[in-house]
Formats: sequence, structure tokens, C-alpha cells
Amino acid sequence: MKPPSSWGRIALFAVIGVFILVPLAQTIITSFVSTLPRGGIAEGHFSLVNYQNILHSAALKDSIVNSIIYVVLNVALCLGVGLPAAYAFARYNFAGDRQLFFLLLVFRITPTVVLSLPIFVLFAQIGLANTPVGIALVHCVFNIPISIWILEGFISAVPRELDETAFLDGHSLPSFFFRHLIPAIAPGIGVAAFFCFIFSWVEVVLARILTTTGGKPITMAINGLFGFRTDFGLVMAMTVLAVVPGIAMIYFVRHHLAKGFVIRT
Amino acid sequence: MKLYDNRAWFLVLPALVIVTLVGILPLIAVTNYSFQDLFTLNNPYWVGVDWYRNIVTSERFYASLGRSFLFSVIVLSVQLPLGIWIALLLQRSNQFIVSTVLVLITVPLVVPWNMIPVIWLNFINPNAGLAGRLLTWLGVGFDYKFNALHTWIVLVVMDTWHWLGLVVVLAYAGISSIPPAYYQAAAVDAASQWQVFRFIQLPKMKTVLSMAVLLRFMDSFMIYIEAFRINAGGPDSATAFLSLDLGEEILSFNYGPSAARSIVYFLIVLAVAWTFKAATSARAPTEELTT
Repeated sequence: MKPPSSWGRIALFAVIGVFILVPLAQTIITSFVSTLPRGGIAEGHFSLVNYQNILHSAALKDSIVNSIIYVVLNVALCLGVGLPAAYAFARYNFAGDRQLFFLLLVFRITPTVVLSLPIFVLFAQIGLANTPVGIALVHCVFNIPISIWILEGFISAVPRELDETAFLDGHSLPSFFFRHLIPAIAPGIGVAAFFCFIFSWVEVVLARILTTTGGKPITMAINGLFGFRTDFGLVMAMTVLAVVPGIAMIYFVRHHLAKGFVIRT
Repeated sequence: MKLYDNRAWFLVLPALVIVTLVGILPLIAVTNYSFQDLFTLNNPYWVGVDWYRNIVTSERFYASLGRSFLFSVIVLSVQLPLGIWIALLLQRSNQFIVSTVLVLITVPLVVPWNMIPVIWLNFINPNAGLAGRLLTWLGVGFDYKFNALHTWIVLVVMDTWHWLGLVVVLAYAGISSIPPAYYQAAAVDAASQWQVFRFIQLPKMKTVLSMAVLLRFMDSFMIYIEAFRINAGGPDSATAFLSLDLGEEILSFNYGPSAARSIVYFLIVLAVAWTFKAATSARAPTEELTT
């Protein structure tokens, strides 16, 4: 294997950049083009009509709000239960810890479609169908394992002495968590939040089955736009809006992204 | 050194309660459904293993299973080497390039899954899409609707566009955890680039890479909405993956058969994960020796 020169490397990265960016660029361009003769603007012209149409549609605006609510809830939930669990896995051996870790892994890789039918039945019975809370809970099935995995790596990297001195100073477990542990692994919490965010934001199967009548997220609102005469400009404008929060998240955690998965061997 | 303390269970308990509610209980329910004939969910009729017998004796099942495996194998053999290669190049770049490339390459990960085929169908559209026009201009008769090979190419390229970022992030995480002392030792021994890769970088990346393989295998194995939108399993069932069969069955309200299919599906996933875990942990001591 011959190491490519730095110019060769930059050229290769440029090729990858083009491969990633061009389909996105076309999406953005289409989102600024009127694709149906509507509102007095002819087809195929540059316009902001698609974005204006989103602002005029209550259903589309609601879907954005719904998506944000359930994703935020899901991230809070996964970090809230994931942090203590990750601490337990990082610091202690206990009966069945290995098996439990494997069980969590299994649920991360279980196809969501396998669980969709009973989850719908169960949630309809306890009144959680068609609510953002229901989707937030359901997405925990694959996001709790991810958050535990990432946080466990970060906590293991913190020396044990931090815990011991804090406990000697008379901190209780919760006060140690908030005063010492969380500040020490802040980047890790950011990365875990990022991965919980994206996996919840992009999920489609469970979100669809749980929102048959109300509480539709962005993904389902976009599905609803397809019809006999689909307004592709509108679809693309919604797609662009759906990607923006994710890109903002990536920007904030960019320096720590790769560190999230370092695990002790 | 970790302490042995069973009170740590209390810290795991909240996570376990939620996973039980949204994972374990539904799984038990699916298992129950799979032995019943359900006209409505309140009217079960015990049919034993009939649905399972139907699945394992149907040729259609093995055909879809084969297609799903083939797709996963192709996807892994494209994305894994490519991802590792990019990570290796990143490791020799400065911080600015690393950040830029990582940000760029992870953007497709935040696109909702049902939007990915929409973006790509727009991109390869022969009338309006950039790629579609380019192919027409080059005189390539590209027809993803009726040419099975072309449908497969679209699916593999689209999936690589979507998921390459995850493989790169994981591989880069593995590489950047290697202490500089290892490279210094290799330099003293005048190790070649390939030897450094084979005996230092690859073993050190093993844990994260095995996770990458597992995640990519499972997510490609259950590819649903992307394949459905591109060609709905066509042309002529050439891209009818296991998950598309299952989705069809659920949509037509065949609860019993679809539950049985789900369980078969789940068992395949479990078997692969288990084999994989056994294989990677059994090799660990010898790998430790070679490093």
C-alpha cells in the first residue's frame, strides 16, 4: 500500500465530497423551483413558493413540531436512563452484566418491523398511540442500547479516582453525577445525544404505525404529499427542512464524533 | 479493576424497564400471535406451527432470504474496505480536513429513511436528474425500472451514499484510539505500511469494526422503505427482499403468518449476532498475542 501524497488525498476527499453533495444539491435546487403551476407562478421557475406553502399548511407545520417534541423526549429519556446504566456497566461487575449487555445489543439490531404489530396493539390499549410520547418511548428500544454503549466508553476513560474522591468528600451518587461525572463526560453526552437524535429523527416504520390518525411526524407528512399530481418542489422543501436540524447537530459534535465509539478491548 | 457489586442492578433497572415495555413484551406477543390464526386480535384460533411450516416449505421464502443475504454481502464488501480506507487517509490529515470530511460524510445519516429514495429518484431521473441526464448524454441506456442489474446498482450506490459515514466514523474511532507508541515501535522495526495496517491498525480497530459489520449487516438485511420506493421489489421480484415480503403480509392484515415470519426473521438476526459475538470473542486472546 503506497501512501498517497497530500494532493492525491485531497483529490480523493473531493471525489467523496462530490458524491455526497451532488444528490443533496439537486434536492436543494428543486426545493426552490415551482413544480406545479400554483399561485400564479409558472412551472420550472425559481421561487420561494414551496417554503411559503409549508408556512401556509397547518398539517406540515404541526408535523415539524411533532417531530421535534418526540425526538427531544426520546433523547432526554435515553440519556436519563442510559447514564446510570452506563455507569453501572463501566464501574461494576454484577450478576448477569454480560448477558444484559448482549440483550441490549440484540434490541439495537432487531428489525423494527418485527415489533411493530404488538407495539401498536399494546400502545393503543394504554392510550399512547398517535402521541409523540408513544413514539419517543418506542424509539428507546434501539436508542437506549446506543446511548449506553457510547456513554460507557466515555465513563471508562474517566479515572476511578474521580468517583473515590467525590464519595470521600461526602457526595451522594446523584450529586456526584451532576457535579462531577456529567461535566467530565460532557462531549460523550453530546455524542450520545447526537446518535439518539439521528436514529429517532430518521426512523420510519414505527413512527408510521403509531401515527395512523394524529401526531404525524415530518417523515409521515412527507409521505402524505405523494399523490396523483405530486408537488415535488414541496416534497423537496420539506426534505431540506428535515435535514437542517441534523446538520446543526453534526456541526456541534464534529470534534467528538469519532471518539464516541472508542471502547476498551 | 471493576468492583463486584450487585447493587449496580438498581442503576440499570430504569433502562431495563423501558426495554421490557417496548422490546421484550412485544416480542413475547409476536411469539404468541405466530401460533394463532387471528381474524381479529380478539378471536385467536390455535394453529400450532402451521405458519412456520408454510414459511420453511415455501420457495419464495428462500429466494427472498438469498436476495437479502446477497444484498448485505455486496453492501458490506463495498462499504467496509472503502470506509476503512477513508479512515486511514483521514488519520494522516490535519484537524481541519478531518472535521470537514467527517461532517460531510455523516450528512446522509440525518436524512429520514423515506426521503433517501426520493432524493435518489430525483437524482437519477432521466429528464430532470443530474445523474440521469449525464447517463443519457454518455449514451448509457440506464433503466432502473425494468433492468434488474440497474435496480441493484441504484440500491447499492444509494445505500453506500447513506451509510458510508457510519463506517468511516467507527473505523476512524478505532484508529484514533491507537497510542503513538505503537507507531514508534513499528518505525524502529522498519515495518512497512502494510505491516503497520495488518498488525497494528486492523487488530486495534477490531472491536469497533465488528460493531460496524454487525450494524451494517442488520440494517442492510432489513432494508425496506428504500427498496420499496425505488422499485417495490421489481423488476419481476429481483429486489423482493425478506423485509418486503414481511411488509406486504402485515399490510394485508395476515397477523398470524406475519408474526411467524417476524419470529423467523428475529431468529436469523439472533443467530448471526450470536455467531458473530462468539467468533470475535474467541479470537481475542490470539489477536492480543500478535499485537
